[in-house]
Amino acid sequence: MVTPGLVDRFVEGALAAGAEVFRAPDARGAIAAAARLFRDGKISRIVGPPALRREAEGTGLVLEAADGIAVIAAAEAALVRADYGAAETGSLVRLDPGDDEKLAWTLPPLCVCLLDGRKVVADLQSLAGVLADHLGRTGVPGPQVSFITGPSRTADIECQLTIGVQGPARLVIWLIEGEGS
Amino acid sequence: MRAAAPDARLKATLQAFYESWAVKRENCFRGLDFEALRETLAEIKDDAIARQDTLLARFEEQARRHGSLVLRAKDGDEANRMVLEVLERHGAKKVVKSKSMVSEETRLNAYLAGRGVEPRETDLGEWIVQLAGASPTHMVMPAIHMTRQGVARVFSENLGRPMAEDIPALVRVAREELRREILAAPVGLTGANALIAENGSIMVVTNEGNGRLVSSAPAVHIVLASTEKVVPSTADALLLLKMLTKSATGQPISSYVSFIAGPPRAEQTIILLDNHRSELRADAKFREVLRCIKCSACLNVCPVYQVVGGERFSHVYMGGIGSLLTAWIHGLEESKELAGLCMGCHRCDAVCSTKIPIADLVVALKERLARETGKKLWKRLALDGVMGHPAAHRGTFLAARAVRPILQKKGFARSLPSWMARYDRFRALPAPAPRPLSGLFRKEKRKWRKAASPVKVRVTLFPGCLIQHVYPEVGLAAARVLARLGYDVVLGPTTCCGFPPWNSGHAGAARRAFLYVLNRTKRDGPIVTLCPTCTNMLAQAGPDLVQGGRGGSSRPHHPPGPGAADVRDFAGRVVTFSQFLARNEAEALKRLMPEGRPARTATYHDSCHHKHVLKASEESRNLVRLALGRDLVEMTGPSACCGFAGAFSVDHPEVAEALLADRLAAVEATGAELVALDCPGCLLQIRGGAARAGRKADVRHTAEVLEAALRGDEPPRLRKKRSSGRSPLSG
Repeated sequence: MVTPGLVDRFVEGALAAGAEVFRAPDARGAIAAAARLFRDGKISRIVGPPALRREAEGTGLVLEAADGIAVIAAAEAALVRADYGAAETGSLVRLDPGDDEKLAWTLPPLCVCLLDGRKVVADLQSLAGVLADHLGRTGVPGPQVSFITGPSRTADIECQLTIGVQGPARLVIWLIEGEGS
Repeated sequence: MRAAAPDARLKATLQAFYESWAVKRENCFRGLDFEALRETLAEIKDDAIARQDTLLARFEEQARRHGSLVLRAKDGDEANRMVLEVLERHGAKKVVKSKSMVSEETRLNAYLAGRGVEPRETDLGEWIVQLAGASPTHMVMPAIHMTRQGVARVFSENLGRPMAEDIPALVRVAREELRREILAAPVGLTGANALIAENGSIMVVTNEGNGRLVSSAPAVHIVLASTEKVVPSTADALLLLKMLTKSATGQPISSYVSFIAGPPRAEQTIILLDNHRSELRADAKFREVLRCIKCSACLNVCPVYQVVGGERFSHVYMGGIGSLLTAWIHGLEESKELAGLCMGCHRCDAVCSTKIPIADLVVALKERLARETGKKLWKRLALDGVMGHPAAHRGTFLAARAVRPILQKKGFARSLPSWMARYDRFRALPAPAPRPLSGLFRKEKRKWRKAASPVKVRVTLFPGCLIQHVYPEVGLAAARVLARLGYDVVLGPTTCCGFPPWNSGHAGAARRAFLYVLNRTKRDGPIVTLCPTCTNMLAQAGPDLVQGGRGGSSRPHHPPGPGAADVRDFAGRVVTFSQFLARNEAEALKRLMPEGRPARTATYHDSCHHKHVLKASEESRNLVRLALGRDLVEMTGPSACCGFAGAFSVDHPEVAEALLADRLAAVEATGAELVALDCPGCLLQIRGGAARAGRKADVRHTAEVLEAALRGDEPPRLRKKRSSGRSPLSG
């Protein structure tokens, strides 16, 4: 079940970190909204993981497979899904499966992420057990965990904040509030 | 070697960064218990340092289980060779790097470049300084010393095309160039913010996302990390993260945090570097240094760093903590200048994420430096020869008073000859007072005996050198206030407390001076000082010194000092004048304050030890408010240090001058008629600076402000009659 207080705090944290946050009743609605965003921005090369590619079928959104660095680097946007959100910091948490999807979060200039509102927890500390379990798994490539909070940023020149130095300049989060509830 | 005058633009940049960072950091920690968090993190780090061998073995075992290769490097050369071997194995002629202070420590870039491998920094700041052929000047903001014009010039020279002096445009260039480099590189190298023993993963934190790209895009990933980065669990790493980003950049969290367990692609080699950390770990006094998580908070608040920047105040690692790391990693001699630049203000202690007592440890390092690498001649004469010998101390001031008629002009000393002008061109140095406090006090006490005032308890007034010989009117004012409140005031020893030699690492002289005071002070009642630095020396540093605690000498003491109980009892009775009054006599003072007393506009200057060690600023402010019957006009500005710091302003007059200029400007901006403070050193600096600059600032010790208020008057005008003014007892 979605916890309203936590979700509001998450939104507040994510906005403060420079992300754009929208709410959608379900995943299909979020994907459809993302499709409109891409269409309005004339963005056609979008990569996404297999599960989202399947979910996007029938919405008019065509996602390329995030297979290989060259494909991901050439993409204008990525559509991805986070496993958790941390309200305290507005962070997205991804338990990376160890494939190229990790780069899909970082290389394209626009990253659009779906987050199930029921997966928003109070803070990153409350995920310590989940993270430890995931990182304890073996396999090559090895397991990874990512916290993404807002777009890529730097203040290395004259301490002036500038967005999009290495990773995406835009991080758009679609918070799914009604899914499964 | 004489240091160049500080770069005004650099100082303005660093101070602006500090001011913005301080606000953001405060916002980040709002609602959190910073003290409890850092206490917990310090415990985690202490435990990890104590169990480091076991934890590293566990980390290695887990990382190997994930398929990583783990190597141990004894020193920087060995670590560099290991990196090169991985590169050679893959035929790599280029390696892209995420920010790694450890690779700066091992001088990896120069090592690789000399062997035909091109190292490419990918953090924007690191890339800029690499292209400029320079070194990072801040651990978090490596190119903080450079302007956009400088960056545009460096880009233009290196990339062979003109560049706009526009930050977003420069950042776009960096994105394009670095992206191309990262995607083409066969090998990526990162550091690690934590090594997690329970699952063999590493934690990498960046804002730009280059750590994530460098570790994930190339086929081969090298991790170069120092051994003290190991923590037991993921939960511990999360707490470290919670403190790190708030302290480093004032962000709740950085944009990208990656936990990587095993090779992100084909291969991962983790190199664990010791580089003398084992020796540091074995040193009971200094091992706390290994708690450092490189957040740089200490650097951001450092007044000296804000003036001179990291080009001067670094040897790879920067600031006071840098001096400590350097002493072990790069050698004692290399740490000498860094340690000398630490003025001992203790601002760093207040913000350290892991509660490292940096300032005291730097003093202990200075002691080791003085012992093992020698002392400056002037310090041997002034600190060992005079301050460490009470008889010589008295004799020196007696001689100074004898030549006062030719030495002084309008209450200040005449200007120094031109070859010494750097020491007094920014502040008029005071002349010794015509009569020392001890003489005036005896005369004054005879008056009190005639007054019918009930005696509460005996209070020993410890004046310190400056009050005894230069500002006796402050000592008299304090004595009068205490007497008016009914205390039996006796004057304690009038020699040096030992702080100046202690703060310069001259432990023997400091110990002699401290013991002299201890042995000649009455065995009962509070010991009230007029200087927070004296309080720090008598209540903490001195006792530590004779009992071998932190900041004390690591050599055995000859002859043995007084018993521990005596030292404890003495230390427990020492208190600063304003703290003593604020805690015991606030209500009585309120009752005694006459109606209609002058209420000038005033500001309050925080002396470093008063604020950051004794944490008594608010108590003093309340007393001044009470005395004036109105609120204070607060100063704004960066470091808020006046730049005195005893021997520091002689060692580094150009830094002292820059700090004092800021303070005087801050005073002027308040429009206050009166500057109240609690430290005679700050009094010397600010009053002398104001006089030299021709500014009208009435700078007064809190004791003078209170005494005058009790008389319903203002403090007597300076230089008319040093001991003038009626005693409050007679009023």
